Amino acid sequence: MRSRSSPKLMGAPVVMLIFCLLLVSSILVYANQPPPDAALVGNETCVDCHDEISEAFSTTLHGMISELSKTENAVSCESCHGPGSAHVEEMEPELIYNPAKEDQFGDMPTCLGCHNSPNFDNWPFAAHNSGDLNCTSCHKIHEPQADAGMYNEMHLCLGCHSDISASMFMPSHHPLREGKMSCLDCHEVHGGSIEHTLEDAKRELCFSCHADKEGPFVYEHAPVNEDCTICHTPHGSVADNLLIQTEPSLCLNCHPMHFHAAIEGIDTLFYAPVDSSRYGVSTPDAWKRGMLTKCSQCHTAVHGTDLPSQATSTSGSALTR
Amino acid sequence: MKYLQILMLSGLLVLSICGLTVASQGTTSDVNSVWIGSHYTDFSDYVKKAGEYNLGNDEVLPEIKLNYGLRGENYFMRLNSHYYDDKNIFGNLTGYYEDRLKFNVQYQSLIKQAGRDLLENLEARESVGGNTGGGKMLTHEVLDADADYNTHRQMITTEADFVIDKKHKVNLMVAHRTIMESGTEQMISNSHCFSCHITSRSADIDKITHQIIAGLQAEVVGQTIGYEFGFRSFKSNADEVYNHYDVAVNPNDSSAAGEFSSRLLYEDSTLPYGTYPETKKMSHKFRVKGDAGKGNYAAAISYSKAENNITNLASTAWVGSASYAVGLSPRTRLIARVKASRLRTDDTLIDLPNYREGTSAGPQTNFDFTRYSSLDRADARFSAEVISRLNKKVTASVLLGYDWIDRYDYPIAGEGLTTKRMKGQLKVRYRKGIKYSTFVKYRFEKTTDPFVSGRGLFEERGRDELNPIPETFRFVFYFQREDLRYQSITTEPTDEHIFEWTSRWMPDRKVNLTIGLKGSYDKNGDLDSLDINHLALRPNLNLNINPNMNWSINLGGNYGYYKSSGPITVALFDG
Repeated sequence: MRSRSSPKLMGAPVVMLIFCLLLVSSILVYANQPPPDAALVGNETCVDCHDEISEAFSTTLHGMISELSKTENAVSCESCHGPGSAHVEEMEPELIYNPAKEDQFGDMPTCLGCHNSPNFDNWPFAAHNSGDLNCTSCHKIHEPQADAGMYNEMHLCLGCHSDISASMFMPSHHPLREGKMSCLDCHEVHGGSIEHTLEDAKRELCFSCHADKEGPFVYEHAPVNEDCTICHTPHGSVADNLLIQTEPSLCLNCHPMHFHAAIEGIDTLFYAPVDSSRYGVSTPDAWKRGMLTKCSQCHTAVHGTDLPSQATSTSGSALTR
Repeated sequence: MKYLQILMLSGLLVLSICGLTVASQGTTSDVNSVWIGSHYTDFSDYVKKAGEYNLGNDEVLPEIKLNYGLRGENYFMRLNSHYYDDKNIFGNLTGYYEDRLKFNVQYQSLIKQAGRDLLENLEARESVGGNTGGGKMLTHEVLDADADYNTHRQMITTEADFVIDKKHKVNLMVAHRTIMESGTEQMISNSHCFSCHITSRSADIDKITHQIIAGLQAEVVGQTIGYEFGFRSFKSNADEVYNHYDVAVNPNDSSAAGEFSSRLLYEDSTLPYGTYPETKKMSHKFRVKGDAGKGNYAAAISYSKAENNITNLASTAWVGSASYAVGLSPRTRLIARVKASRLRTDDTLIDLPNYREGTSAGPQTNFDFTRYSSLDRADARFSAEVISRLNKKVTASVLLGYDWIDRYDYPIAGEGLTTKRMKGQLKVRYRKGIKYSTFVKYRFEKTTDPFVSGRGLFEERGRDELNPIPETFRFVFYFQREDLRYQSITTEPTDEHIFEWTSRWMPDRKVNLTIGLKGSYDKNGDLDSLDINHLALRPNLNLNINPNMNWSINLGGNYGYYKSSGPITVALFDG
């Protein structure tokens, strides 16, 4: 069954048009349900026809847990597919529930009936859910793959987010392709409480592994308190330490280069330009040298420190110690 | 030594397996595989790369993989392990007891080399005349030239999930993680002798992080409620590194030594540097989720407190979030999210010696100040998204969002900075069965008063008053720049545009071809004259083939084009 109405195009702002199109949506009914009077038939009946699934299923995590279960809640075919009597009698695929056809517009996914841990709190609001994915998009329930029946996890993610894979091959990267980390270490793919499927703000997330950067410190570096991604890009970069730019260009986005780095060396005393009797010259060669010097060679404590720097010029807050 | 470790590891594994087998009662079965081999890595003519992982040793080394599965009447467990070398070891033990208990223990280790001397490329004006004034701006010495700087990182994670009551879905969850870092790091200090004297030393790394999370969850009146306690601590057990901070000498005029020394907070002192904090953080989180009306909701409120044990500074955070999804029609959903937080961080008085303290030259000036934290803030985020399936093939969505961040006493005490951000996103997806899908997405973000680095972008030019120095002074001293630097200019973007297109063709579940393009452009509209903007374009092509359960073949090409434009700030010479 389908009904559709068309909004008037003339004179309506584009945004309103989009909203109207979205709100005046069609109704589609997919046959994916057993009839209400269907009854349970038991695993043995299912195996009669689906023996290949049954054989593989016994080696999956679900299958193995099912055999351990001492209660009536044991996982069976009909735990996920619903009562199968009508399906058995009519041999019609449409008369058995198929979780693979679940979508965001239906009820809560069947899987969440059992998988109720905090990881799944945000699935109804998750970007993957909104993106027309369901549990079976990533998890192969009947196949004895890894723990959760997934193909190689990183490749699974990169299958869709392939632009990220280029970043992982940049010189500086987290050790994902070395197999020491996984996408799930940072991303809650079942829905985070904020965007990008991250459960915590980027700052808190990073500190869960890099706890020495959290502080609070006496001498702070404000971007560390604001958002780590002001300076770092997590998936990979050309610059060392996952910096978005090499030093000193990165630092010069916010700070002025100071004269140590950019004044040409001279053989005699030099003076400041604020006084006519003093002079100092920034030459192209001096600038080139300055641009090859990294700020962190002196300002080593860029994430914050409790120790004052030596000079009064920054009231001790130059992060050099 | 390595062979001894391998032998011990192998012995432990065999003992564990024997123990599990003996302990098992009733009918048991096991499945196991052992792979013993060797690898050799040749590092001749190899240049170490910065930040490289997984470096082997330049010798023949044994390698072991052991997989073991044990299945009993009411339990099963599985062990996967891989010994590559003594710095690259992986082990994972997962077990289930009935359908009540699940546990997982994992050990992971890696090595990351620094791969470079932090003082490489140090380019600065060097001495021209020995120890006499003039010319010398930076000198440096490396005390451990042959040191091999690297970090060995080990992580042990333990998780357990126990079902206490199935009927009310009462679960107890406990997790612990330890991160241990050891190795050698390059420590750099700089002091003002003839201007800056940089010294490089090697130092041991001995850092440890503990993290514990314990939670209880239950279903009450159809709603799931839960509580989580979190604790995290960090400590470095390595010996502190000390530097002797020289008697400072003016590089240009040694006769003005007294004047120059007065610009320093300390000199002729041996003091620690490069120290790590000792911190702990505790958090409490209450969560609830369930159905409300025709929709689903999830909400959480948490409180956390992070403390620096050395300085007694603390930072607290209250964070609340709520999300609600409801069907407006059978094919239209609304998703609304709100998140708000209030962060407070202790202020602290920085007590500095007076300028010229202990000297007879000129007036003394007090530079004590209160360090207000940029982490003293309130923020709130809200977004609403409407998703509609227009027909069987087309789904479209519109998202609108608003962020608000109010920072107190930052970047200037008593003034603060409030950032407001409007967000909008339009996404259209076309799907033809499971074989073909494509979507386009456009997103924009408009920000007013974005984040400003605390010391400002540029020194303010043409400022008339050079407080606190009297007009009779001829020079602008270093510390005066503090006053001059405060200026609310930033290179953070005010306008961001993000575009994404992806098409996917999946003729069957074994083949997946993806092609796409992501692009972003941002600029700072407040600084049009400076033309600050960033452009990124990332086309990509990816082919994934899974012919059977044992093979997964990935072929792909990605290209990234990044362009950043902006000013380079000028060097100041005001000292």
